[in-house]
Amino acid sequence: MKNEHNKEPDKAKFDLASLKLSQDFGAEVGVKKLITTIPIRKPNKHEFVRVHAGPAYQLQTAVIEIKEDRETYFVDQAIAIQLPDMVVPKLIVVAINRQGIVFLWPIRLPGPDGRHDNWNSSALEASNISKETWIKVTSNMSLGAYEVYEAVANLPEPEWPELDFQEIMAIACKDRFIKSLDHPVIKRIRGEI
Amino acid sequence: MTKKEIGDFREVWLVDFEFGCEDGCTPDPVCLVAKKLGSDHTYRLWQDELKKLKLPPYDIGPESLFVCYYASAEMLCHLDLDWPFPTYVLDLFTEFRNLTNGRTLPSGAGLLGAMVYFGLPAITAENKNEMRELALRGGPWSAEEQKVLLEYCETDVDALELLLPKMEPHIDLPRALLRGRYMKAAAKIEHTGIPVDTTAHNLFKDNWESIQDILISEIDSGFGVYEGRTFKRDRFEAWLTQNNIPWLRLESGQLDLSDDAFKEMARCHPHVSPLRELRTALSKMRLSELAVGSDGRNRCMLSAFRSKTGRNQPSNVKFIFGPSVWLRSLIRPRAGYGLAYLDWSQQEFGIAAALSKDSLMMKAYSSGDPYLAFAKQAGVVPENATKKSHGSERSLFKACVLAVQYGMGAKSLGMRIGQSESHARELLRLHGKTYKVFWEWSNAATDCAMIKGKLWTVFGWNIYVGERVNPRTLQNFPMQANGAEMLRLACCLAVESGIRVCAPVHDAILVEAPLEELDDCVAKTRELMAEASEIILDGFRLRSDADIIRYPERYMDERGEIMWNTVWKILNNMVAQ
Repeated sequence: MKNEHNKEPDKAKFDLASLKLSQDFGAEVGVKKLITTIPIRKPNKHEFVRVHAGPAYQLQTAVIEIKEDRETYFVDQAIAIQLPDMVVPKLIVVAINRQGIVFLWPIRLPGPDGRHDNWNSSALEASNISKETWIKVTSNMSLGAYEVYEAVANLPEPEWPELDFQEIMAIACKDRFIKSLDHPVIKRIRGEI
Repeated sequence: MTKKEIGDFREVWLVDFEFGCEDGCTPDPVCLVAKKLGSDHTYRLWQDELKKLKLPPYDIGPESLFVCYYASAEMLCHLDLDWPFPTYVLDLFTEFRNLTNGRTLPSGAGLLGAMVYFGLPAITAENKNEMRELALRGGPWSAEEQKVLLEYCETDVDALELLLPKMEPHIDLPRALLRGRYMKAAAKIEHTGIPVDTTAHNLFKDNWESIQDILISEIDSGFGVYEGRTFKRDRFEAWLTQNNIPWLRLESGQLDLSDDAFKEMARCHPHVSPLRELRTALSKMRLSELAVGSDGRNRCMLSAFRSKTGRNQPSNVKFIFGPSVWLRSLIRPRAGYGLAYLDWSQQEFGIAAALSKDSLMMKAYSSGDPYLAFAKQAGVVPENATKKSHGSERSLFKACVLAVQYGMGAKSLGMRIGQSESHARELLRLHGKTYKVFWEWSNAATDCAMIKGKLWTVFGWNIYVGERVNPRTLQNFPMQANGAEMLRLACCLAVESGIRVCAPVHDAILVEAPLEELDDCVAKTRELMAEASEIILDGFRLRSDADIIRYPERYMDERGEIMWNTVWKILNNMVAQ
């Protein structure tokens, strides 16, 4: 058996730089994540959240809460004035957790008498703090209010989806908007069904 | 001038050799047919005529294209005849594989399979096998046999003539020539082969039957799971319980006793390794099939481009890196020589970092210890943490990185690190959170494959989304297949610069040099490996590690060390008796 001592007559020439194909697969086919669900809830006790600091990303409105189902429904202004015993005034803020899940955080506002209990005032204060920093909110029964824990680690700023407040509301409210007294939720509360 | 199309070449030669080949030896050319495309110019030469020629009868300069099917075989014939290689080689096998990789081929990827694929007439498989056997039988051949062999050789050339125009519209010529370049390097590597301690090999072969029984009693004494030569599942289950080892299970709830399961579990419970080696040795190892030539070198067809990722896929029983790891200790440099096994450090991590352009991942790779860097980036260990101060955390993050590379879920990772599934899930979540850019890129690769129906490497090795698509294969393809490109390029650079490459092994290269030149050879190979990585990864250089073996030392893989020492002890005792 011979060993290699074989020489090419002319070495092949390859311009490797010009032969390279892009590995940027994202640019080949653009795939964009669509947000189709935005829950309406308060933060879970273990999750760290931020609230959108933009003034356009909040709304004071009337809602109906079905506590046993943990569901919140937005109510059209014209209908809300006809249901003073059912609706409660809420501040709706846009929040996001560390996993990038966007949700609406409803916080009860003082009633016509201006009274605001410690639970709601501490929640409101927490939402203001979380415009600047990552916090987690847990209830303390003996305190009768929420406690706020700030993440001391240097966490990055949240990455908000490219949606304006109207678009966020449209996604969140698609099955949760009451604009008629014939809505099943109203009928259920009234004992009509 | 860069050739972009086949028509840019002045001459195109369609070439086929018939050859005989003993196991472990290089092919011995029997006859040659070479036809100049678009003319009646054909050479039909028998071996006595071939051996008189100092150069091939066809032009091999840069204005000619050499076309064949499975080029490394043709190149080995060139080497045997001491002919130079053609400048440019177009291998229709590699291009057919590249055109159909991932798709189901009812007739395979051989020449007949390609003919069937394109609806072309072909000789029958029986006829082909009969002729191959006649060539492999060796001489002397009668005049009639010579005539039929030459005629058969010409049918393959005729097939190339029909196949080329069918395939031409699908061939990306500049990159196809790059693959042809590798087939030339592969031929030289196959020709070089791996030096083997033939004395030890022959002793093993001659005594293997007796060794096996003693081996069971030696190794099984630590496990107690064999009854005669039978592995008892219930005894193994009892041993696992006794040693508090959670084992992978099948859907049925039974222990998973596949070699993959043993391999996986041996990673987290290394003391299981000897049992795995024993099982492999008893069930799969056929020592006599290890292809060792008369010159004491292991040689077999590298089967370049056979795997989906484009990696080599040599026979598991013929290639010394195929069977059990302990058997690799048969690799031993000849007197006066040394070997070096060089592999890229954390190659997959480096490729993933560079191709995804994830700056945190690139920074982690460049730190020299990506696992500890990952733990720091995830905020789990302080910035001043070291391997010594935070060894256990580093191990967890290493396991997590490897789990991502293997496509493991939380359950398997949990078992591997001996922690709960939720703990493992948290580690995987940290990977996703820390290397967000990588994950976006990786998911985009899968999306791209599902939308466009294919993925590709930097030099155009494709995988098509077939009927039975495995998302894990697609997700891992950019790392594995670009790793294969890197290895091929490094092999080309090394072989072309005169380094004796004995074998490519997954992401490693085994090289050989006289002892006095070994250090220089290692330095040069490392530089070429770094250069290859730089070319594939847009200027990002990967580091490499080198294990050096100087005669009279032998190659040793730590995973097989216990088994090798045990077998060797048994053998010594047998010889002494």
